[in-house]
Amino acid sequence: MTELEARPEALQLPGVQDHPKEVRPRPMSLGERLYLPLLAGMTVTLRHFFQNIFRTRERVTIQYPEERRDYSHRYRGHHILTTRPDGSVRCVACFLCATACPADCIHIEAGEHHDVNVEKYPVVYEIDMLRCVFCGYCVDACPEEAIIMSNNYDMAFYSRSQSIVGKEDLMKPFTFDPGKLGYRPRFPEEEEKRAAMRREAFDLVAAAKAKGEPQSRVAAG
Amino acid sequence: MEVQGESWLTTKLEPFVDWAQKNSFWPLPFGTACCAIEFMGTVSSHYDMSRFGYEVVRFSPRQSDLMIVAGTITDKMAPVLKRIYDQMPDPKWVVSMGACACSGGFYRAYHVMQGIDEIIPVDIYVPGCPPSPEGLMYGILQIKEKIDRERKASRRGGKRKGEHAA
Amino acid sequence: MPPEAAVALDPAAAIAAGFPEGSVVPQEGPGAPTDQPTWVVRREVLRDLCRALRDNPKTRFDLLLDVCGVDYPEREERFESVYHLYSMPRGRRLRLKVPVAEGDARIPSVVPVWKGADWFEREVYDMFGVVFEDHPNLRRILTHDGFQGHALRKDYDPARRWILTEDKIYMPKLVAPPGRSDSMFERMTINIGPSHPAMHGTFRFVAMVDGEEIVASEVEIGYLHRCMEKMSETHTWQQVIPYTDRLNYCSSFINNVAYCRTVEKLLGVEVPPKAVWARTILSEFSRVMDHCVANGSSLVDTGALTNFWYFFQVREEIYGLLEAVCGARLTVSACRIGGLLADLPPDFVARCRRLLEFIPPLIDDVEKLIDKNRIWIDRSVGIAAISGEDAVNWSWTGPCLRASGVAYDVRKAHPYDLYDTVDWQVPVLYGGDTYDRYKVRMLEIRQSLSIIRQLLDRGMPEGPFVVDDPHVALPSKEACYNQMESMIYHFKLIMDGIQVPPGETYLMTEGANGELGFYVVSDGSGKPYRLHVRAPCFPIFSTFSDLMRGHSISDAIATLGGLNVIAGELER
Ligand code: SF4
Ligand code: SF4
Ligand code: SF4
Repeated sequence: MTELEARPEALQLPGVQDHPKEVRPRPMSLGERLYLPLLAGMTVTLRHFFQNIFRTRERVTIQYPEERRDYSHRYRGHHILTTRPDGSVRCVACFLCATACPADCIHIEAGEHHDVNVEKYPVVYEIDMLRCVFCGYCVDACPEEAIIMSNNYDMAFYSRSQSIVGKEDLMKPFTFDPGKLGYRPRFPEEEEKRAAMRREAFDLVAAAKAKGEPQSRVAAG
Repeated sequence: MEVQGESWLTTKLEPFVDWAQKNSFWPLPFGTACCAIEFMGTVSSHYDMSRFGYEVVRFSPRQSDLMIVAGTITDKMAPVLKRIYDQMPDPKWVVSMGACACSGGFYRAYHVMQGIDEIIPVDIYVPGCPPSPEGLMYGILQIKEKIDRERKASRRGGKRKGEHAA
Repeated sequence: MPPEAAVALDPAAAIAAGFPEGSVVPQEGPGAPTDQPTWVVRREVLRDLCRALRDNPKTRFDLLLDVCGVDYPEREERFESVYHLYSMPRGRRLRLKVPVAEGDARIPSVVPVWKGADWFEREVYDMFGVVFEDHPNLRRILTHDGFQGHALRKDYDPARRWILTEDKIYMPKLVAPPGRSDSMFERMTINIGPSHPAMHGTFRFVAMVDGEEIVASEVEIGYLHRCMEKMSETHTWQQVIPYTDRLNYCSSFINNVAYCRTVEKLLGVEVPPKAVWARTILSEFSRVMDHCVANGSSLVDTGALTNFWYFFQVREEIYGLLEAVCGARLTVSACRIGGLLADLPPDFVARCRRLLEFIPPLIDDVEKLIDKNRIWIDRSVGIAAISGEDAVNWSWTGPCLRASGVAYDVRKAHPYDLYDTVDWQVPVLYGGDTYDRYKVRMLEIRQSLSIIRQLLDRGMPEGPFVVDDPHVALPSKEACYNQMESMIYHFKLIMDGIQVPPGETYLMTEGANGELGFYVVSDGSGKPYRLHVRAPCFPIFSTFSDLMRGHSISDAIATLGGLNVIAGELER
């Protein structure tokens, strides 16, 4: 049994057969006694200092909020409820996401859909953002691709009640910017057609948004 | 006459005080768990919170005015948190960072406080597990807005933060 | 009694044969654990048996890996205390089980045999109410003193909380050792923490000092006890993965791997080569990350702040890689039982290569700053030194043990994933002090990078990233949309969870600070019956007050970072 018995060569490594009974601390050399290596250290710090001043391209600091880190398209941020082409919610209220959620933070109330082809739809679909641990299990569980994630991390709430995000907010299209999509079903790369469709959808809703819809996540508390 | 003079002075002083307050928080990180690691990320080179004037990270409650609770608060820790909050001078603000501090997150468990607002008031809740450093900075910047809004409210006769305790 | 032949072959069995009939019974036959020999031991002989197993030159079980409890309410002897032993010189493992009944839940403590048992036994006491006789300090360890009941008993409601009131807060009563005649100072008791930056936010250290010197001290933990083990009993096997992230949150990926490997072993699932390859690479990157935090924070605690920024740059870059793989920076949840959560991004290899270029210069910079810096040397050489023999007795593993001259590494001794196919060394040093713990980590970072480089050179294996078994891993979405069968499997897997067959197993993985073991018991329902984490830093930190005797408070602070105690894992 491989796990049970250690590899014979590992038993020959130092200290394994006879654990050392004494400690042998590291001796100090004369140079170290005289604090000389501190100078070498100083050159390192100075090098970094001047690099940061003169080689601006290599600066590591991200000038948030003007500049943002380039997160991948797998980022697990704020959720999105996707829509059908007619703008209705895709979700069929099957409760799989709520079952898979380890934080138990998805609340769904199902209702009968007027369209006979679609059995059900969520009358209420709420995620408690403050409970959510952004694990992405809901996305994995959804059989309809109805819930995906965005790479939007600008979230903050003034109160606990405000953090319970409902259907409208989750469908809010501003997160639909194709460049801002996050974790979603396992498609390694975005298919061309899909991306085009998303872009189109985004343009449509951007137009709607221009008519004056509030954008900020944080409403007046 | 004298009453008028005093109120002239305070109205002129107030915007200045607010300006100073919101641009130079002295944060006290109350970091316990994984969120604290992201807090460290926020103050280190990549995100560098000092760009907003918040670099004086104080570990002493008496010298700070912004408490960032980063991490799970357990029942065992609760009295400590409360005591430290009480030691901070007014006016003070609290940012609750991460699911655990906000609500207990997915630890609906026998030893975890279900949100620090059980014992101390919270001004901003930042969701995430852990929130990314940008998310945390976004939350802290919201405090600025909140101070602005409170000032406007106080002009209209409302209470200002910290006044109740003064 | 074991059969004669077995006795002749196995020296451990020979020892067992020396005890009275029926007091040491090997578990055999159907239903018995198959991962390692397991003996059911009557408590009367436990301590003698343990001592014999440790001292007999033919067995030499010198390392007590873990003690944990399991509750079987339907059995007559309800509680079972489970001991995992390891014989480092022989490379063998052994599990002892001591059952006790509820009304008479007393077991002799094995602290006289292995000092490392101290906190382990306290935890079992706290969680199950089993009393360990002759234990030096048997009180609650993880929960607070206002807590009532024992949380991991099956009949304890997972959400039942107890509020701690100020008057119940524990104040250690330190007993002063007999005073030295030459001391001119008054003895003073100092409390540091839990909310003190030097205590990393979650530990409490109460020390009695004589002048500068610590003469007695006590460590109080549990400020971050998040009930992970209880929570995993209420969640499905997949849902436990996010909880494992938050154990050692400096290297959450390794925890994912450790947990998934354990469950995969119970299931008998073979992970596809691509996933194994990626797991090895990402585990090593996580190890680098973890060592960066450990060394960075121990240096910060001594005042060397600059290194911390360099180390955090390394971390940030690795975060970038992890985020591209799984979508989160810190709490990755990147493994699934049977593989990974998603296919690797197309630029994975290129990204890894870029990291391999980026990290070494920063590590060099830190070494240039620190290695020969007399201020750091003065603060760390000879501080909190522990010999290899003591460290093993205290159940140490990992880099801290390797700094004391014992080259035990799970990746070498019990290779898993791809570790036996690459060429790498186990760094060992002999100082056993804070300096050598720092240095071992620096050397390990380089070994890790070399492992990654070799694996990258080998090229990414083709194939799936997760097993193609609809009972274990979700079918792909395409299959779901197009095939009824896959859809049904998908539903079943989400609704019922993975059906792990009944059984139990212990599996070890080299975590960033030692042997990270998962002991899981499955009863065939969709959830773990019991899941225990053998946290490597738990026994290491239990040594702390012993280590600090004779040192000063400032040494205590410099030591803590170097031990790399991560609260999430320590207290779970
Ligand atoms: S991301 Fe995880 S915790 Fe959040 S809603 Fe989805 S399943 Fe629940
Ligand atoms: S799993 Fe998808 S379709 Fe089902 S309830 Fe959740 S979001 Fe709706
Ligand atoms: S919110 Fe998440 S990351 Fe933060 S402390 Fe809690 S578990 Fe850790």
